[in-house]
Amino acid sequence: MALAATITFGYRASQHARRLRLENEPIRSWMSVPFIAHTHHVPPETLYQAIGVEPHPHDRRPLRAIARAQNRPAAAVIRDLENALVRAGHTHPAPPGGKGP
Amino acid sequence: MREWVLAALSQYGSPALFAVMTVSSIGAPLPVTLLLIVTGSLISLGVMNLWWAIGLAIAGSVLGDQIGYAIGRWGGTALVSRFGPARGASERLAKAEAQMRRWGGLGVFFSRWLVSPLGPWFNFASGIAEYPWARFVFWDVAGEVVDTAICLGLGYVFSDRVQALDAALGDFTWALVALLAAVWLGWKLWKALRSH
Repeated sequence: MALAATITFGYRASQHARRLRLENEPIRSWMSVPFIAHTHHVPPETLYQAIGVEPHPHDRRPLRAIARAQNRPAAAVIRDLENALVRAGHTHPAPPGGKGP
Repeated sequence: MREWVLAALSQYGSPALFAVMTVSSIGAPLPVTLLLIVTGSLISLGVMNLWWAIGLAIAGSVLGDQIGYAIGRWGGTALVSRFGPARGASERLAKAEAQMRRWGGLGVFFSRWLVSPLGPWFNFASGIAEYPWARFVFWDVAGEVVDTAICLGLGYVFSDRVQALDAALGDFTWALVALLAAVWLGWKLWKALRSH
């Protein structure tokens, strides 16, 4: 059983390691706009524009705080950002479960 | 909880890092590896200061570890005898003490970073077994420095792949634990077969 667990977890670790090279990070509600811009290599202004927020030089607000300020669900903000990334040419597939807040 | 903790780090930075590391080291199940990896990423972004992050992460962890040790040392036996006699707590207490005598400082050191889920357990067991406090502090600080350096360093280098990195590290840790268990069981089996 211990050997089976070693192989299973080892395989899963290698799959995750493969994702390090191939896929973009799924967007989560704890992320700030500059952080998402950094992980997807796009200018923050592109993302701010997509969610209708004035760019801040030192904005650390997570998406959930922005969504609260806009009085809409975090999932809607994330969807807008994902669409903006697709328009910016980011078409790498997100892993399963990557759409949630 | 995971989303809340990471949102707090994103918004409040170092003070949130310190608080989460402290609470987690006492035993709360919080995603500290991902927290440190994201901190490394935020450092590379220029949002957090490198030295403040390192200092507060280590200070928070060590503070939480000391609280766990103190609870074990000055209240552990009473807690176990009051709340856990029906669940075989006395036997577990004896096992914990035996483990501490066997592994001592190395157990404390490796439970900070290599098998970090065992960290709070080792703090408590060290206190119950009355492992010398000065030695506990030494191995604790050494282990937390290694843990912080590894996680922040990886987060800094792979700053745009923090979630995949966290998942890979988590599975790697469990693969390592399972491998160690397999080696240990194989060794016990070999010894038993040889004695017959």
